[in-house]
Amino acid sequence: MDTTTDAAVTTRGLVKRYGTNTALHGIDLDIPRGSVFGMIGPNGAGKTTTMRLLLDILRPSAGELRVLGETPRLGGAALRRRIGYLPGELHLATRVKGRELLAHYAEISGPVRPGAVDALADRLGVDLGRPVRSLSKGNKQKIGLIQAFMHEPELLVLDEPTSGLDPLVQQEFHAMLHEAKANGQTVFLSSHVLSEVQQTAHEIAILKQGRIVERSTVAALREDAVRHVRLVVAEADAAAARATLDALPGVSGVAPAGDGPGTVAFSATLDAHVDAFVKAVARLDVVDLTVEEPDLEEMVLAYYGTDLTADADDAEGTTRKGARR
Amino acid sequence: MNTVLPLFRRSLADGWRGLLGWTGGLLVALFLYLPLYPSFGGNGQLQEIVDMMPPELVQSLGYDQIGSGPGYVQATFYGLIGFVLATIAAVGWGTGAIANDEENGQLELTLAHGVTRGQLYAERTAAVLVKLAWLALVSVVVVMVLNEPSELGIEFGDLVATAVAYFGLVALSAAAAIAVGGLTGRRTWSLGAGAGIAVYGYAMNALGNQGEDVRWLHDWSPYSWAYADAPLENGWSELTWLLFAVSAVLLVLGWLVFRRRDVAV
Repeated sequence: MDTTTDAAVTTRGLVKRYGTNTALHGIDLDIPRGSVFGMIGPNGAGKTTTMRLLLDILRPSAGELRVLGETPRLGGAALRRRIGYLPGELHLATRVKGRELLAHYAEISGPVRPGAVDALADRLGVDLGRPVRSLSKGNKQKIGLIQAFMHEPELLVLDEPTSGLDPLVQQEFHAMLHEAKANGQTVFLSSHVLSEVQQTAHEIAILKQGRIVERSTVAALREDAVRHVRLVVAEADAAAARATLDALPGVSGVAPAGDGPGTVAFSATLDAHVDAFVKAVARLDVVDLTVEEPDLEEMVLAYYGTDLTADADDAEGTTRKGARR
Repeated sequence: MNTVLPLFRRSLADGWRGLLGWTGGLLVALFLYLPLYPSFGGNGQLQEIVDMMPPELVQSLGYDQIGSGPGYVQATFYGLIGFVLATIAAVGWGTGAIANDEENGQLELTLAHGVTRGQLYAERTAAVLVKLAWLALVSVVVVMVLNEPSELGIEFGDLVATAVAYFGLVALSAAAAIAVGGLTGRRTWSLGAGAGIAVYGYAMNALGNQGEDVRWLHDWSPYSWAYADAPLENGWSELTWLLFAVSAVLLVLGWLVFRRRDVAV
């Protein structure tokens, strides 16, 4: 795997089975060093399983897995010191204070710069002097983020990192991700919705029932997204406009819509490049043109498919998560 | 930064309240029971009561030697209340070491750090054993303190032998709970193993006390390994080592599987 030595995470045909359940059906991933990579998928798609495999909490059933150039099993504790991990379900029930708990995690992770913990706590706005178990869900999540970030690991593995965080803290968190990337750190984060990763991740993988159904970049997704357009032309141009729209590839659902006197409006959906569309309609006497911002979320939901609920048990998460409390 | 045995120290730091509580419980039991001996047991009064009880019950409770100081301490504390208290503590701590932590989701985060599974298992086991040894030590100190005023007539060497057997017996329950936690990660199984081995040992011992034809049941009872030879009167029993041997086998088994299996499944 010479070509992957500069990758932070590489998997080939990664399979994870729990008894007869197959959680991951052969995942191929390449996460370049210094990138922010988002994995999205519905609950139970296998996101948490993938991340736990990287940390050697789970062992693969088949396939290859390399993290920072080593297999998690052989890399052991030394490898994990180079990783910061935020579990998807963070349970912090201890009576000890935040500062004490973080000091403990600092002892068993990579070296933490003096002041790093307090700086992060200030940024995220969490009181480290309180017993951890008395903190709200969002504040526990902040403790989780601090322990993942505090030793400036080469790789950050963050499972649904923004859950429970208010919007302001989410912004701060996004800033932390940008800084991590600027530092050359690699970030691998997951979410069940695109909006949480699209601001920070360039590359994304969409996971469904243990398979990667799409690998893309946020930019490419946006380019391919279905947009709703509304074109208003002078009445004299109506026939020409209709003909132009009908002839354009990627334009569908053309329908006249009501408009003011002297003009005619058409609405349509566009699932091709905006560029061709704009150039085609430029020849017309355009009174108004509206291209709605694409709803990427809707697009991702289309990947999730409609048969999810029926087959959800086939995948890992639903039985793993929350089954045992 | 001090990085020697971080998980061991964390376990002790997390558990000091509990340890204090169990220590208090033992102290209360010891200071309630032992000072009663001179007025109650030493003058033969207790022996008279015991003589009136059904012999099967006396055998089951191990009260047949209650008329002597060592027999009294054995029957009331090491064989009964002290055994029950320390066993509950041992099972609780043993379950907490792996299974409980795994089920409530905290083990995953610890293992995601720069520690190995074997290290975590070993350090947490050590913490449990140290706490149990502390309880045994407390019993030794208190019995020695009360030995004269309560006219118990216990030899120090015999007391140490008994405390070691006592420690071995409750450590076996802890080891079973830890090992099953390592094997399965399930709280109920872990708890069941720890409590089950204690109940089983006590029951086999009580049944074996009922007569010569069932005496062989003692061979299969950890409780009998610890106490059947009455170490508080007779000193070191050669069966005590079996407690530690079985504990060691269980712990190694749990350790081997824990290093290999999936966590937090």
